[in-house]
Amino acid sequence: MSLKDPIRSPIPFSRGNVRPLLNEIIHALDRLLSDDEPTVIDLASLPFAPGELEELEQTLGSGELTAELDALGKSVIRETGYPGVWWVEHRNTGGEVVGRYIEITRSPEILMSQDADIGAGRARLNDSFESPGPELKEEAGK
Amino acid sequence: MDLLDFARGPALQVAIYVFIAGSLWRILGVLLLQRKPDHSEARQSGGFRGALKVIWSRSFTAPAFAKQTKYPKILGYILHIGLFITVFFFVPHIVFIKGLFGIGWPGLPNNAIYFVGVVTVAVGIALLIRRMTHPVLRLISNFDDYFSWLVTMLPLITGLIMPIRFGVRYETLLAIHILSVALLLIWLPFSKLAHTYFVFISRGTTGALLERRGART
Amino acid sequence: MKTIPTLGEILQAQGVSRRGFMKYCAATASLLALPPAMVPRIAQALEQARRPSVIWLSFQECTGCTESLTRSSSPTLEGLIFDSISLDYHHTLQAASGDAAEAARHAAMQENMGKYLVLVDGSIPMANPGYSTIAGISNYDMLMETVEGAAAVVAIGSCAAFGGIPGANPNPTGAVSVSDLVKDKAVVNVPGCPPIPMVITAVLAQFLTFGQLPDLDVHGRPVAFFGQTIHDRCYRRPFYEQGKFAETFDDEGARKGWCLYKLGCKGPITYNACATVKWNAGTSFPIESGHPCLGCSEPGFWDKGGFYNPISTADIGSGAGLAGAAVAGVALGAAAATLSRKRQQKTIKEG
Repeated sequence: MSLKDPIRSPIPFSRGNVRPLLNEIIHALDRLLSDDEPTVIDLASLPFAPGELEELEQTLGSGELTAELDALGKSVIRETGYPGVWWVEHRNTGGEVVGRYIEITRSPEILMSQDADIGAGRARLNDSFESPGPELKEEAGK
Repeated sequence: MDLLDFARGPALQVAIYVFIAGSLWRILGVLLLQRKPDHSEARQSGGFRGALKVIWSRSFTAPAFAKQTKYPKILGYILHIGLFITVFFFVPHIVFIKGLFGIGWPGLPNNAIYFVGVVTVAVGIALLIRRMTHPVLRLISNFDDYFSWLVTMLPLITGLIMPIRFGVRYETLLAIHILSVALLLIWLPFSKLAHTYFVFISRGTTGALLERRGART
Repeated sequence: MKTIPTLGEILQAQGVSRRGFMKYCAATASLLALPPAMVPRIAQALEQARRPSVIWLSFQECTGCTESLTRSSSPTLEGLIFDSISLDYHHTLQAASGDAAEAARHAAMQENMGKYLVLVDGSIPMANPGYSTIAGISNYDMLMETVEGAAAVVAIGSCAAFGGIPGANPNPTGAVSVSDLVKDKAVVNVPGCPPIPMVITAVLAQFLTFGQLPDLDVHGRPVAFFGQTIHDRCYRRPFYEQGKFAETFDDEGARKGWCLYKLGCKGPITYNACATVKWNAGTSFPIESGHPCLGCSEPGFWDKGGFYNPISTADIGSGAGLAGAAVAGVALGAAAATLSRKRQQKTIKEG
């Protein structure tokens, strides 16, 4: 065990927070299918008893797609075993969790390339294209 | 000092002092009265055994009056038993008593206490309605009767409101609840509520005398 | 006045991508206990927000509040929020000292007149200004001088908010809270001993994002974090309802995680976010670790009857007082009986 491991009481017990949440997810999936309306649930706003968050994560499981984001620390965007239900977990550079969400959507917004980044990247690419540095010459030579 | 500190501190202190002083005053004021000497011959040894017998037997209506008094009798029992359960088997109350006297005991789940509390209040209201509509009771009821009813019901009602809140902060409701108990403690010795201890003295005295005279107890 | 860069510009200059910024906004929304739907609005506000100047005054305090806030050796998103303010004066964290530090404070006040934020930890002694001074200036004088041009004042920790431990019985220094002294500026109380660091940064983030202070309760505390009692959000509440209590520390009930009411838990009368936000980035909070709540975010919590005495106990006075009441009762009873007996004799005599 290290200081980073969460302290859990020896007898995890279900306080009944998981079932209502799963019900909420079912209704959100209905809305997604019928109205194309996404839903975001902030897990930090719910008081879980020790062990319940793990129970929720295990119940939802993981599906086909997991993405790892490296921006201001690592984040995981994972489609759960239920398509359309995504588990999004943000960590800072110290490895501490700063945000945990369940997104019911076709694709979480943060997965998409953002306009500002595309613009900045295009400018960078253009610069290196205009005046290729030694690295690019080397690359071309390989 | 906020309301809760006042209720738990000076208010309760004064109430307990008044309760002790007042109760001793009234009990001694009665016990020290001159008794008429009984010059008749004792049929049996009277005294304590007779006292205990009548304390017990008076809890049950004499058969001749049973039918007439069935309704208020049942309601009265539910009221008293309900008060007993809500006061002595709700865990925060047990904790309070333990803090005072050092002894505690297991309590009942909060839901059970709440149910008993609601029933007790309902019965209390039924008894009040009876008092206000019954042709005889209406005439003979005085301030003591009505005010004692209120003072007894307030701790129950304020206690039942606490989980519901009605938008009021918990500390405020707790302070009001404790103040209502302080009011009860102050009013008790000087009102009909003093039957809390007088019932045993009056029944006991009657019993001792009747036993000595050989009358039916 | 120097041009203050916007937060958006600061983050861009630090090489933070748009995705990074989105993550930052989501975390801020979580921090402010705002629904995820608010994230676009937060993003918009943060992009245009300018780093406010912050002056931190420390008075009669133990520095626990600063410790709570800065408890991270590596930069965190909370730290980023903290970094996005211009902390122009802070005893523990600043490099300058002595006259240079005071000069920095005055310079910051002058440059940002009417716009800077004043954060205060520690109580202010009023019995004698000499009890707590900085650079020869009494706490009272420094406070009143500094808040004059402030946009708002945040009292951090129970000492600044309510008087705290210096203000506890018998309060030898005459310690008072910030709101006892500052009457003409908005004062936000963020109590706790110490406050949850996330709550401190959330108030700063709210100011930074929306340029306004959060909704406050009757004690001047942000309702978002101090609107619910610990009891109402405690995961052990069902045990309270079922009547399952730990009787002593480490007994069977305690090990099973039962309610700590009998061990003196002040949860029912304490308003704070410990049960939901928790401590150490959501790791745990006192009750979850097996210790009853002290009620540290409430005024006068040091004098609320003892940490290990349940709320239901009351101080009913000394043995002497009770004995006195008993004696009074006996005296009155004897007197009443004597009068009654005299009347009885009279009646008998009169036949």
